[in-house]
Amino acid sequence: MKASRVEFLRLFGGTTLLTRQVASELFRPPLYPSLVMEQIYQIGIRSIPLVFVTAGSTGMVMALQFGLGLEKFGGKLYIPKIVSISIVREMGPVFTCLMLAARVGAGITSEIGSMTVTQQIDAIRALGTSPIKKIVIPRVLACVIAIPLLACAANFIGIIGGLAVGANDLGLDPVFYIQKVLNTLWLPDLASGLGKTPVFAMIIAITACYFGLNVKGGTQGVGNATTKSVVTSSICILVGDYFLTKFFWILEQCL
Amino acid sequence: MPVIAVKNFKKSFEGREVHRDVTFHVEEGECVGLVGGSGVGKSVVLRSLIGLEKPDSGEIWIEGEEISKLSERDLVKIRRKVAYVFQNGALFDSMSVFSNLAYPLREHTKFNESQIKERIHAQLEEFGLAEAVNKLPSELSGGMQKRVGLARSMMIDPKVILYDEPTAGLDPFNTLKIRETVLRLKKKGVTSLFVTHDMPTAVAVCDRFCLLGDGRVKAEANVDKLHTHSSGDIQQFIDGLDGG
Repeated sequence: MKASRVEFLRLFGGTTLLTRQVASELFRPPLYPSLVMEQIYQIGIRSIPLVFVTAGSTGMVMALQFGLGLEKFGGKLYIPKIVSISIVREMGPVFTCLMLAARVGAGITSEIGSMTVTQQIDAIRALGTSPIKKIVIPRVLACVIAIPLLACAANFIGIIGGLAVGANDLGLDPVFYIQKVLNTLWLPDLASGLGKTPVFAMIIAITACYFGLNVKGGTQGVGNATTKSVVTSSICILVGDYFLTKFFWILEQCL
Repeated sequence: MPVIAVKNFKKSFEGREVHRDVTFHVEEGECVGLVGGSGVGKSVVLRSLIGLEKPDSGEIWIEGEEISKLSERDLVKIRRKVAYVFQNGALFDSMSVFSNLAYPLREHTKFNESQIKERIHAQLEEFGLAEAVNKLPSELSGGMQKRVGLARSMMIDPKVILYDEPTAGLDPFNTLKIRETVLRLKKKGVTSLFVTHDMPTAVAVCDRFCLLGDGRVKAEANVDKLHTHSSGDIQQFIDGLDGG
């Protein structure tokens, strides 16, 4: 119990310090835009298939489940409303970020972890450069740029998935479906969903970089760090989702 | 004024005291061998000299500047003067040999790409690695990786080189190549600190030895007086290596 408490405090302190280092070095030259672009490709473009499959099947399953449930009460016409609201406010951003915590988080931790155990991170420092600038900042920026865009695309694909099931399996008119979706969704729905994603992106990137930079114990250590990174960022996303939802809910009440 | 001076260096890891009072110095152009049994913390001293480790207490002076309390940002200018040759080369495995050598030039000089290319080809020729220019580190032998690591460390003409067991695990051919390179750099006036267990190479390249043990420098000896040195520790270490 005591050891796990120490480990939690170490994680909290370590990630806080890393975030502070990123913030303090973010705009100080030299800047490496080409490294950021490379990471946007690795993290953003290469995650598109995974995000699309996840979002599409989530939308399809939701439409099917709500369709089966609501049909008994004659509420089938509410499917576009329920599916689109659920996807845009919750399922799209959260599922996307959970999938990316696994794909991107694991990738970042194992890559940086391998560099740590083979002394490549030490070599970056020994050659008079900063691993924060060369390794951490490009990944953090790429996540903060790419993940909200991916979540945006996931929302769209999820709604399309729901439309496909609604039209094919539940006998809903596609035009009616689209009209309902457009009438239902408004800016606060999009903002409360997508507004969470930069925070989730930071959680994924900082957690993954922290575990990668602090790998101990060779290749087995890299494996352990990768597992811890994915578990930690997934839990932080799920717990953080509650507080962010509440935050946006209060904000909506105030506006 | 010595180029490197370590005074009362103290370092512990998770409660285990590795160094309790290490003091030594290296004069300009000198090559000093830092020797001692496995686990005495030779690499810890070496890493501390470019700020990869921070001492718990004590002072580290490089060219008249105390570096032990410098921030990462302030250490950059020290790291441009002091090169570190890692035991395994520590090459960036996703980059070719060319890109590995170009790294310090792109970071610290204003050379254009054609000047960088010219310098890299000249360096690779000098190190006998011309054929490896487009290869990835994984395609090189261990000896070649170490030589590329050494070539990379030399790209921005450092004044000091720290060698961390550069010949460990190498065949006689590659050991000889490394030895020749170290001697060539020494002739150019580069100051060196040489951590090794390879005594024949150490005797060939070093001017002086510091024997590390029990958390301190137990004995010092010039290389020509090594076998006649009065210190029992030095004799014991040399006998052990001769016997082993």
